[in-house]
Amino acid sequence: MATGLSAIFLNNRPALLRFLRARGAGADAEDMVQDLWMKLEAKDIGPVAEPLPYLYRMANNLMLDRYRAATRRERREQDWAVGAGGVMADPSQDIAIDQRLILNERLEQAQAVLRDLGPRVELAFRRFRIEGVGQRLIADELGVSLTTVEKDLQKAYHALLALKQRLDTE
Amino acid sequence: MTGAQAMIDEEALAWVIRTRDPEFTDWENFTLWLEADPARASAYDALMAADADLPGILPADPVTLPIPANDPGERRWRPMRWVGSSALAAALVAAISIGTLRRTDIYTVATRPGETRSIALEDGTRIDVNGGTTLRLDRNNSRFAALDSGEAAFTVRHDAHDPFRVTVGDALFEDAGTVFNIVRTATATRIGVSEGKVIYNPQAEAIALPAGRALTQDASGVRVMTISPDAVASWRQGRLSYANAPVDQISGDIARSLGVRLTATPGAAAMRFTGTIRLEDHPARFFATAAPLMGLSAVRQGDGWLLKEGDGAPR
Repeated sequence: MATGLSAIFLNNRPALLRFLRARGAGADAEDMVQDLWMKLEAKDIGPVAEPLPYLYRMANNLMLDRYRAATRRERREQDWAVGAGGVMADPSQDIAIDQRLILNERLEQAQAVLRDLGPRVELAFRRFRIEGVGQRLIADELGVSLTTVEKDLQKAYHALLALKQRLDTE
Repeated sequence: MTGAQAMIDEEALAWVIRTRDPEFTDWENFTLWLEADPARASAYDALMAADADLPGILPADPVTLPIPANDPGERRWRPMRWVGSSALAAALVAAISIGTLRRTDIYTVATRPGETRSIALEDGTRIDVNGGTTLRLDRNNSRFAALDSGEAAFTVRHDAHDPFRVTVGDALFEDAGTVFNIVRTATATRIGVSEGKVIYNPQAEAIALPAGRALTQDASGVRVMTISPDAVASWRQGRLSYANAPVDQISGDIARSLGVRLTATPGAAAMRFTGTIRLEDHPARFFATAAPLMGLSAVRQGDGWLLKEGDGAPR
Protein backbone atom coordinates (compact mmCIF):
# COMPACT_ATOMS: atom_id res chain seq x y z
CA MET A 1 0.00 0.00 0.00
CA ALA A 2 1.73 3.11 -1.17
CA THR A 3 -0.52 5.89 0.05
CA GLY A 4 0.60 9.49 0.11
CA LEU A 5 1.56 9.23 3.77
CA SER A 6 3.74 6.16 3.16
CA ALA A 7 5.51 7.88 0.29
CA ILE A 8 6.18 10.90 2.47
CA PHE A 9 7.44 8.60 5.21
CA LEU A 10 9.93 6.98 2.82
CA ASN A 11 11.15 10.35 1.58
CA ASN A 12 11.64 11.65 5.10
CA ARG A 13 12.84 8.50 6.83
CA PRO A 14 16.33 9.98 7.53
CA ALA A 15 14.84 13.14 9.05
CA LEU A 16 12.50 11.11 11.27
CA LEU A 17 15.38 8.89 12.34
CA ARG A 18 17.40 11.95 13.19
CA PHE A 19 14.49 13.33 15.19
CA LEU A 20 14.08 10.11 17.19
CA ARG A 21 17.81 10.06 17.95
CA ALA A 22 17.65 13.67 19.14
CA ARG A 23 14.58 12.76 21.22
CA GLY A 24 16.76 10.24 23.08
CA ALA A 25 15.82 6.97 21.38
CA GLY A 26 19.51 6.06 21.12
CA ALA A 27 20.15 2.61 19.68
CA ASP A 28 16.40 1.97 19.47
CA ALA A 29 15.84 4.74 16.93
CA GLU A 30 15.97 2.35 13.94
CA ASP A 31 13.48 -0.01 15.56
CA MET A 32 11.17 2.86 16.36
CA VAL A 33 11.19 4.14 12.79
CA GLN A 34 10.28 0.62 11.76
CA ASP A 35 7.51 0.67 14.35
CA LEU A 36 6.20 3.87 12.86
CA TRP A 37 6.19 2.32 9.39
CA MET A 38 4.27 -0.72 10.64
CA LYS A 39 1.71 1.55 12.27
CA LEU A 40 1.27 3.44 9.00
CA GLU A 41 0.83 0.23 7.05
CA ALA A 42 -1.55 -1.34 9.56
CA LYS A 43 -3.91 1.59 9.82
CA ASP A 44 -5.62 3.03 6.83
CA ILE A 45 -5.10 6.65 7.77
CA GLY A 46 -7.18 8.93 5.62
CA PRO A 47 -5.84 12.04 3.91
CA VAL A 48 -3.86 14.22 6.30
CA ALA A 49 -3.64 17.97 5.84
CA GLU A 50 0.01 18.26 6.86
CA PRO A 51 1.53 14.81 6.36
CA LEU A 52 5.10 15.46 7.50
CA PRO A 53 4.19 17.21 10.76
CA TYR A 54 1.73 14.37 11.28
CA LEU A 55 4.55 11.80 11.02
CA TYR A 56 6.74 13.80 13.39
CA ARG A 57 3.90 13.95 15.87
CA MET A 58 3.47 10.17 15.66
CA ALA A 59 7.19 9.75 16.33
CA ASN A 60 7.03 12.16 19.24
CA ASN A 61 4.08 10.28 20.70
CA LEU A 62 6.03 7.02 20.47
CA MET A 63 8.77 8.62 22.56
CA LEU A 64 6.28 9.97 25.09
CA ASP A 65 4.71 6.51 25.45
CA ARG A 66 8.15 5.04 25.98
CA TYR A 67 8.97 7.56 28.69
CA ARG A 68 5.66 6.95 30.43
CA ALA A 69 6.12 3.17 30.34
CA ALA A 70 9.63 3.52 31.78
CA THR A 71 8.57 5.78 34.67
CA ARG A 72 5.62 3.52 35.43
CA ARG A 73 7.93 0.51 35.56
CA GLU A 74 10.29 2.40 37.84
CA ARG A 75 7.51 3.39 40.19
CA ARG A 76 6.22 -0.19 40.31
CA GLU A 77 9.65 -1.50 41.15
CA GLN A 78 9.95 1.05 43.92
CA ASP A 79 6.58 0.03 45.27
CA TRP A 80 7.62 -3.62 45.28
CA ALA A 81 10.83 -2.71 47.06
CA VAL A 82 9.00 -1.07 49.95
CA GLY A 83 6.53 -3.93 50.08
CA ALA A 84 3.57 -1.87 49.00
CA GLY A 85 3.04 -3.86 45.82
CA GLY A 86 0.58 -6.63 45.27
CA VAL A 87 -2.72 -6.03 43.56
CA MET A 88 -2.97 -2.52 42.24
CA ALA A 89 -6.41 -1.08 42.73
CA ASP A 90 -8.04 0.61 39.80
CA PRO A 91 -7.75 4.28 40.73
CA SER A 92 -11.03 5.11 39.06
CA GLN A 93 -12.92 2.69 41.28
CA ASP A 94 -14.28 3.55 44.63
CA ILE A 95 -12.16 6.44 45.76
CA ALA A 96 -12.13 6.60 49.54
CA ILE A 97 -13.76 9.63 51.11
CA ASP A 98 -10.55 11.06 52.52
CA GLN A 99 -8.98 10.74 49.08
CA ARG A 100 -11.96 12.48 47.58
CA LEU A 101 -11.45 15.34 50.03
CA ILE A 102 -7.82 15.59 49.04
CA LEU A 103 -8.86 15.61 45.40
CA ASN A 104 -11.36 18.39 46.02
CA GLU A 105 -8.80 20.36 47.92
CA ARG A 106 -6.40 20.00 45.00
CA LEU A 107 -9.02 21.19 42.54
CA GLU A 108 -9.67 24.20 44.71
CA GLN A 109 -5.99 25.01 44.91
CA ALA A 110 -5.59 24.73 41.14
CA GLN A 111 -8.63 26.93 40.72
CA ALA A 112 -7.14 29.53 43.05
CA VAL A 113 -3.86 29.42 41.12
CA LEU A 114 -5.69 30.00 37.84
CA ARG A 115 -7.82 32.72 39.35
CA ASP A 116 -4.79 34.60 40.60
CA LEU A 117 -3.39 34.69 37.08
CA GLY A 118 -6.37 36.72 35.88
CA PRO A 119 -9.26 35.91 33.56
CA ARG A 120 -7.39 36.31 30.26
CA VAL A 121 -4.60 33.92 31.25
CA GLU A 122 -7.11 31.42 32.56
CA LEU A 123 -9.30 31.65 29.47
CA ALA A 124 -6.28 31.20 27.19
CA PHE A 125 -5.00 28.24 29.20
CA ARG A 126 -8.37 26.49 29.28
CA ARG A 127 -8.87 26.93 25.56
CA PHE A 128 -5.37 25.62 24.89
CA ARG A 129 -4.91 22.81 27.37
CA ILE A 130 -8.46 21.54 27.94
CA GLU A 131 -10.18 22.30 24.66
CA GLY A 132 -7.10 21.81 22.48
CA VAL A 133 -7.48 25.07 20.58
CA GLY A 134 -4.39 26.48 18.82
CA GLN A 135 -2.66 29.64 20.01
CA ARG A 136 -3.34 31.56 16.80
CA LEU A 137 -7.10 31.08 17.14
CA ILE A 138 -6.98 31.97 20.85
CA ALA A 139 -5.10 35.19 20.02
CA ASP A 140 -7.82 36.02 17.47
CA GLU A 141 -10.59 35.28 19.93
CA LEU A 142 -9.12 37.39 22.69
CA GLY A 143 -8.04 40.16 20.35
CA VAL A 144 -4.44 39.99 21.56
CA SER A 145 -1.13 39.17 19.85
CA LEU A 146 0.26 35.66 19.50
CA THR A 147 3.16 36.65 21.77
CA THR A 148 0.73 37.65 24.50
CA VAL A 149 -0.98 34.26 24.30
CA GLU A 150 2.41 32.51 24.44
CA LYS A 151 3.36 34.47 27.53
CA ASP A 152 -0.02 33.85 29.13
CA LEU A 153 0.33 30.12 28.57
CA GLN A 154 3.84 30.08 29.99
CA LYS A 155 2.61 31.93 33.07
CA ALA A 156 -0.22 29.43 33.55
CA TYR A 157 2.09 26.44 33.03
CA HIS A 158 4.67 27.79 35.47
CA ALA A 159 2.08 28.30 38.17
CA LEU A 160 0.33 24.97 37.65
CA LEU A 161 3.51 22.91 37.38
CA ALA A 162 4.78 24.53 40.59
CA LEU A 163 1.50 23.62 42.27
CA LYS A 164 1.72 20.06 40.94
CA GLN A 165 5.22 19.68 42.31
CA ARG A 166 4.06 20.95 45.69
CA LEU A 167 1.14 18.50 45.69
CA ASP A 168 3.34 15.60 44.62
CA THR A 169 5.82 16.12 47.43
CA GLU A 170 3.14 16.65 50.07
CA MET B 1 18.59 23.19 40.71
CA THR B 2 21.53 24.64 38.84
CA GLY B 3 21.17 27.67 36.63
CA ALA B 4 21.91 25.63 33.52
CA GLN B 5 19.19 23.10 34.36
CA ALA B 6 16.71 25.90 35.06
CA MET B 7 17.53 27.34 31.65
CA ILE B 8 16.96 23.98 29.95
CA ASP B 9 13.65 23.56 31.78
CA GLU B 10 12.54 27.01 30.73
CA GLU B 11 13.29 26.29 27.08
CA ALA B 12 11.78 22.82 27.32
CA LEU B 13 8.54 24.31 28.66
CA ALA B 14 8.39 26.66 25.69
CA TRP B 15 8.74 23.60 23.42
CA VAL B 16 6.07 21.72 25.36
CA ILE B 17 3.66 24.57 24.68
CA ARG B 18 4.73 24.85 21.04
CA THR B 19 4.52 21.13 20.25
CA ARG B 20 1.20 20.81 22.08
CA ASP B 21 -0.31 23.33 19.68
CA PRO B 22 -2.39 21.48 17.08
CA GLU B 23 -0.93 23.77 14.40
CA PHE B 24 2.72 23.14 15.29
CA THR B 25 4.84 22.23 12.25
CA ASP B 26 8.39 23.34 13.11
CA TRP B 27 9.77 19.88 13.93
CA GLU B 28 13.07 20.58 12.20
CA ASN B 29 13.93 23.39 14.63
CA PHE B 30 12.75 21.27 17.53
CA THR B 31 15.18 18.54 16.33
CA LEU B 32 18.02 21.07 16.21
CA TRP B 33 17.25 22.26 19.72
CA LEU B 34 17.19 18.67 21.03
CA GLU B 35 20.42 17.69 19.30
CA ALA B 36 22.45 20.41 21.03
CA ASP B 37 22.25 18.73 24.43
CA PRO B 38 20.93 15.26 25.44
CA ALA B 39 19.65 16.76 28.72
CA ARG B 40 17.08 18.69 26.69
CA ALA B 41 15.16 15.58 25.60
CA SER B 42 14.94 14.41 29.23
CA ALA B 43 13.70 17.80 30.40
CA TYR B 44 11.10 17.83 27.61
CA ASP B 45 9.95 14.29 28.47
CA ALA B 46 9.60 15.14 32.16
CA LEU B 47 7.60 18.28 31.43
CA MET B 48 5.38 16.53 28.89
CA ALA B 49 4.64 13.86 31.52
CA ALA B 50 3.82 16.58 34.08
CA ASP B 51 1.61 18.24 31.47
CA ALA B 52 -0.21 14.96 30.87
CA ASP B 53 -0.97 14.79 34.61
CA LEU B 54 -2.38 18.32 34.78
CA PRO B 55 -6.02 17.39 34.00
CA GLY B 56 -5.98 15.41 37.27
CA ILE B 57 -5.64 18.59 39.29
CA LEU B 58 -7.53 20.97 37.02
CA PRO B 59 -11.06 22.01 37.88
CA ALA B 60 -13.57 20.74 35.36
CA ASP B 61 -13.97 22.66 32.17
CA PRO B 62 -16.61 25.32 32.78
CA VAL B 63 -18.12 24.65 29.39
CA THR B 64 -18.95 21.03 30.10
CA LEU B 65 -19.54 21.40 33.83
CA PRO B 66 -23.20 20.62 34.44
CA ILE B 67 -24.75 23.04 36.90
CA PRO B 68 -27.71 21.66 38.78
CA ALA B 69 -30.43 24.24 38.28
CA ASN B 70 -31.82 23.82 41.75
CA ASP B 71 -28.57 23.53 43.63
CA PRO B 72 -28.22 26.47 45.96
CA GLY B 73 -24.94 25.09 47.29
CA GLU B 74 -21.52 26.27 46.41
CA ARG B 75 -20.58 25.96 42.77
CA ARG B 76 -17.19 24.61 41.89
CA TRP B 77 -16.71 27.41 39.43
CA ARG B 78 -17.48 30.70 41.06
CA PRO B 79 -18.92 33.39 38.84
CA MET B 80 -18.05 35.87 41.57
CA ARG B 81 -14.72 36.87 40.22
CA TRP B 82 -16.21 37.84 36.90
CA VAL B 83 -18.72 39.83 38.83
CA GLY B 84 -15.91 41.28 40.91
CA SER B 85 -13.91 42.53 37.99
CA SER B 86 -16.88 43.71 36.00
CA ALA B 87 -18.33 45.45 39.05
CA LEU B 88 -15.05 47.29 39.16
CA ALA B 89 -15.49 48.12 35.49
CA ALA B 90 -18.98 49.37 36.17
CA ALA B 91 -17.64 51.50 39.02
CA LEU B 92 -15.03 52.98 36.71
CA VAL B 93 -17.63 53.77 34.08
CA ALA B 94 -19.78 55.39 36.76
CA ALA B 95 -16.83 57.50 37.80
CA ILE B 96 -16.30 58.59 34.20
CA SER B 97 -19.96 59.47 33.80
CA ILE B 98 -19.89 61.57 36.95
CA GLY B 99 -16.71 63.18 35.71
CA THR B 100 -18.43 64.43 32.58
CA LEU B 101 -21.29 65.73 34.72
CA ARG B 102 -24.07 64.09 32.82
CA ARG B 103 -27.27 63.98 34.78
CA THR B 104 -29.10 60.76 34.18
CA ASP B 105 -32.77 60.56 33.34
CA ILE B 106 -33.52 56.88 33.06
CA TYR B 107 -36.67 55.48 31.48
CA THR B 108 -37.74 51.90 30.85
CA VAL B 109 -38.81 50.28 27.61
CA ALA B 110 -40.62 46.96 27.94
CA THR B 111 -42.13 44.63 25.34
CA ARG B 112 -44.60 41.80 25.86
CA PRO B 113 -43.65 38.33 24.61
CA GLY B 114 -44.21 38.21 20.86
CA GLU B 115 -44.12 42.03 20.54
CA THR B 116 -41.16 43.75 18.90
CA ARG B 117 -40.21 47.41 18.85
CA SER B 118 -37.66 49.56 17.12
CA ILE B 119 -36.22 52.52 18.98
CA ALA B 120 -34.28 55.30 17.26
CA LEU B 121 -31.96 57.18 19.58
CA GLU B 122 -30.96 60.81 19.10
CA ASP B 123 -27.42 59.95 18.06
CA GLY B 124 -28.60 57.80 15.14
CA THR B 125 -28.31 54.49 16.98
CA ARG B 126 -31.17 52.04 16.46
CA ILE B 127 -32.24 49.42 18.97
CA ASP B 128 -34.51 46.60 17.82
CA VAL B 129 -36.19 45.14 20.87
CA ASN B 130 -37.45 41.55 20.73
CA GLY B 131 -40.45 40.27 22.70
CA GLY B 132 -40.39 39.83 26.48
CA THR B 133 -37.65 42.39 26.98
CA THR B 134 -36.94 45.11 29.52
CA LEU B 135 -34.46 47.79 28.59
CA ARG B 136 -33.46 50.97 30.38
CA LEU B 137 -32.33 54.07 28.48
CA ASP B 138 -31.19 57.52 29.50
CA ARG B 139 -32.85 60.63 28.05
CA ASN B 140 -29.76 62.69 28.77
CA ASN B 141 -27.25 60.16 27.45
CA SER B 142 -28.05 58.46 24.16
CA ARG B 143 -24.81 56.44 24.43
CA PHE B 144 -26.11 54.23 27.21
CA ALA B 145 -28.47 51.26 27.50
CA ALA B 146 -29.06 48.64 30.17
CA LEU B 147 -30.56 45.33 29.13
CA ASP B 148 -32.29 43.92 32.20
CA SER B 149 -33.89 40.91 30.53
CA GLY B 150 -34.76 39.62 27.08
CA GLU B 151 -33.12 40.37 23.75
CA ALA B 152 -32.16 43.45 21.75
CA ALA B 153 -30.16 44.16 18.61
CA PHE B 154 -28.05 47.32 18.56
CA THR B 155 -27.08 49.14 15.36
CA VAL B 156 -24.72 51.71 16.77
CA ARG B 157 -23.48 54.92 15.22
CA HIS B 158 -19.85 54.71 16.19
CA ASP B 159 -18.03 57.54 17.91
CA ALA B 160 -14.52 56.64 19.06
CA HIS B 161 -14.54 59.49 21.60
CA ASP B 162 -17.87 58.52 23.08
CA PRO B 163 -18.42 54.77 22.75
CA PHE B 164 -21.87 53.32 23.10
CA ARG B 165 -22.11 51.23 26.26
CA VAL B 166 -24.58 48.51 27.15
CA THR B 167 -24.63 47.15 30.67
CA VAL B 168 -26.10 43.70 31.20
CA GLY B 169 -26.17 42.87 34.88
CA ASP B 170 -22.58 43.29 35.95
CA ALA B 171 -21.14 42.95 32.48
CA LEU B 172 -20.37 45.89 30.26
CA PHE B 173 -20.20 45.86 26.46
CA GLU B 174 -18.63 48.76 24.66
CA ASP B 175 -19.03 49.25 20.93
CA ALA B 176 -16.24 49.90 18.49
CA GLY B 177 -18.44 50.59 15.42
CA THR B 178 -20.99 47.95 15.52
CA VAL B 179 -24.10 45.90 14.97
CA PHE B 180 -24.62 43.41 17.77
CA ASN B 181 -27.33 41.43 19.53
CA ILE B 182 -27.57 40.76 23.26
CA VAL B 183 -29.75 38.23 25.06
CA ARG B 184 -30.12 38.16 28.82
CA THR B 185 -31.90 35.24 30.47
CA ALA B 186 -32.15 34.41 34.15
CA THR B 187 -28.95 32.38 33.97
CA ALA B 188 -26.87 33.67 31.07
CA THR B 189 -25.87 36.63 28.95
CA ARG B 190 -25.10 36.06 25.28
CA ILE B 191 -23.81 38.54 22.75
CA GLY B 192 -23.29 38.06 19.02
CA VAL B 193 -21.50 40.60 16.84
CA SER B 194 -22.42 40.92 13.15
CA GLU B 195 -20.50 44.08 12.19
CA GLY B 196 -17.59 46.02 13.65
CA LYS B 197 -16.39 45.15 17.10
CA VAL B 198 -17.53 45.08 20.71
CA ILE B 199 -15.30 45.11 23.79
CA TYR B 200 -16.47 43.02 26.71
CA ASN B 201 -15.71 44.62 30.09
CA PRO B 202 -13.17 47.11 28.69
CA GLN B 203 -11.73 47.94 32.12
CA ALA B 204 -11.27 44.32 33.18
CA GLU B 205 -11.07 41.34 30.83
CA ALA B 206 -11.17 43.62 27.79
CA ILE B 207 -12.07 40.80 25.42
CA ALA B 208 -12.44 42.09 21.86
CA LEU B 209 -15.34 40.58 19.93
CA PRO B 210 -15.02 41.25 16.20
CA ALA B 211 -17.79 40.50 13.71
CA GLY B 212 -18.54 36.79 13.63
CA ARG B 213 -17.71 36.30 17.29
CA ALA B 214 -20.06 35.57 20.15
CA LEU B 215 -19.60 35.50 23.90
CA THR B 216 -21.59 33.70 26.57
CA GLN B 217 -21.37 34.50 30.25
CA ASP B 218 -23.11 32.27 32.74
CA ALA B 219 -22.50 30.67 36.11
CA SER B 220 -19.82 28.48 34.60
CA GLY B 221 -17.75 31.43 33.37
CA VAL B 222 -17.14 33.25 30.13
CA ARG B 223 -16.85 31.56 26.77
CA VAL B 224 -16.01 32.99 23.37
CA MET B 225 -17.12 31.25 20.17
CA THR B 226 -17.56 31.75 16.46
CA ILE B 227 -20.93 32.67 14.99
CA SER B 228 -22.14 33.41 11.49
CA PRO B 229 -22.61 37.22 11.21
CA ASP B 230 -25.86 36.54 9.30
CA ALA B 231 -27.21 34.61 12.26
CA VAL B 232 -26.84 37.59 14.61
CA ALA B 233 -30.24 39.12 15.38
CA SER B 234 -31.81 37.06 12.59
CA TRP B 235 -35.08 37.25 14.56
CA ARG B 236 -35.52 40.66 12.93
CA GLN B 237 -35.86 38.90 9.58
CA GLY B 238 -38.31 36.38 10.99
CA ARG B 239 -35.86 33.53 11.39
CA LEU B 240 -33.59 32.06 14.02
CA SER B 241 -30.20 30.69 12.97
CA TYR B 242 -27.97 28.46 15.05
CA ALA B 243 -24.70 26.60 14.92
CA ASN B 244 -24.59 23.79 17.46
CA ALA B 245 -26.76 25.67 19.95
CA PRO B 246 -28.42 23.88 22.88
CA VAL B 247 -32.19 23.45 22.52
CA ASP B 248 -32.49 24.98 25.98
CA GLN B 249 -31.29 28.29 24.55
CA ILE B 250 -33.32 27.94 21.35
CA SER B 251 -36.56 27.33 23.24
CA GLY B 252 -35.97 30.59 25.14
CA ASP B 253 -35.52 32.42 21.83
CA ILE B 254 -38.67 30.86 20.38
CA ALA B 255 -40.74 31.74 23.43
CA ARG B 256 -39.56 35.35 23.25
CA SER B 257 -40.14 35.70 19.52
CA LEU B 258 -43.47 33.88 19.34
CA GLY B 259 -44.93 35.01 22.62
CA VAL B 260 -45.73 31.50 23.82
CA ARG B 261 -44.89 29.68 27.01
CA LEU B 262 -42.43 26.97 26.03
CA THR B 263 -40.70 24.32 28.09
CA ALA B 264 -38.41 21.47 27.05
CA THR B 265 -37.93 18.09 28.68
CA PRO B 266 -34.41 17.76 30.18
CA GLY B 267 -33.45 15.37 27.38
CA ALA B 268 -34.67 17.72 24.68
CA ALA B 269 -33.11 20.77 26.37
CA ALA B 270 -29.69 19.13 26.32
CA MET B 271 -29.83 18.42 22.57
CA ARG B 272 -28.10 20.67 20.07
CA PHE B 273 -29.24 22.08 16.77
CA THR B 274 -27.59 23.60 13.73
CA GLY B 275 -29.73 25.32 11.14
CA THR B 276 -32.33 28.00 10.53
CA ILE B 277 -35.87 28.02 11.84
CA ARG B 278 -38.43 30.25 10.13
CA LEU B 279 -40.65 32.10 12.58
CA GLU B 280 -44.38 32.02 12.05
CA ASP B 281 -47.24 33.73 13.89
CA HIS B 282 -49.34 30.61 14.24
CA PRO B 283 -47.74 28.45 16.98
CA ALA B 284 -49.26 25.14 15.88
CA ARG B 285 -48.04 25.66 12.31
CA PHE B 286 -44.67 26.87 13.55
CA PHE B 287 -44.04 23.84 15.76
CA ALA B 288 -45.27 21.44 13.08
CA THR B 289 -42.23 22.37 10.96
CA ALA B 290 -39.76 23.64 13.57
CA ALA B 291 -39.84 20.71 16.01
CA PRO B 292 -39.04 17.96 13.46
CA LEU B 293 -36.30 20.20 12.11
CA MET B 294 -34.62 19.98 15.52
CA GLY B 295 -35.26 16.24 15.73
CA LEU B 296 -37.90 16.87 18.40
CA SER B 297 -41.64 16.89 18.71
CA ALA B 298 -43.83 19.59 20.24
CA VAL B 299 -47.06 19.05 22.13
CA ARG B 300 -49.52 21.51 23.59
CA GLN B 301 -49.34 21.58 27.36
CA GLY B 302 -51.83 23.71 29.28
CA ASP B 303 -51.50 27.26 27.99
CA GLY B 304 -48.07 26.58 26.51
CA TRP B 305 -46.01 24.11 24.55
CA LEU B 306 -43.60 21.31 25.45
CA LEU B 307 -40.60 20.23 23.36
CA LYS B 308 -39.68 16.60 23.80
CA GLU B 309 -37.39 14.06 22.25
CA GLY B 310 -38.32 11.70 19.48
CA ASP B 311 -40.74 11.48 16.55
CA GLY B 312 -38.53 13.88 14.69
CA ALA B 313 -36.87 13.35 11.37
CA PRO B 314 -33.29 12.15 11.70
CA ARG B 315 -30.75 14.94 11.44
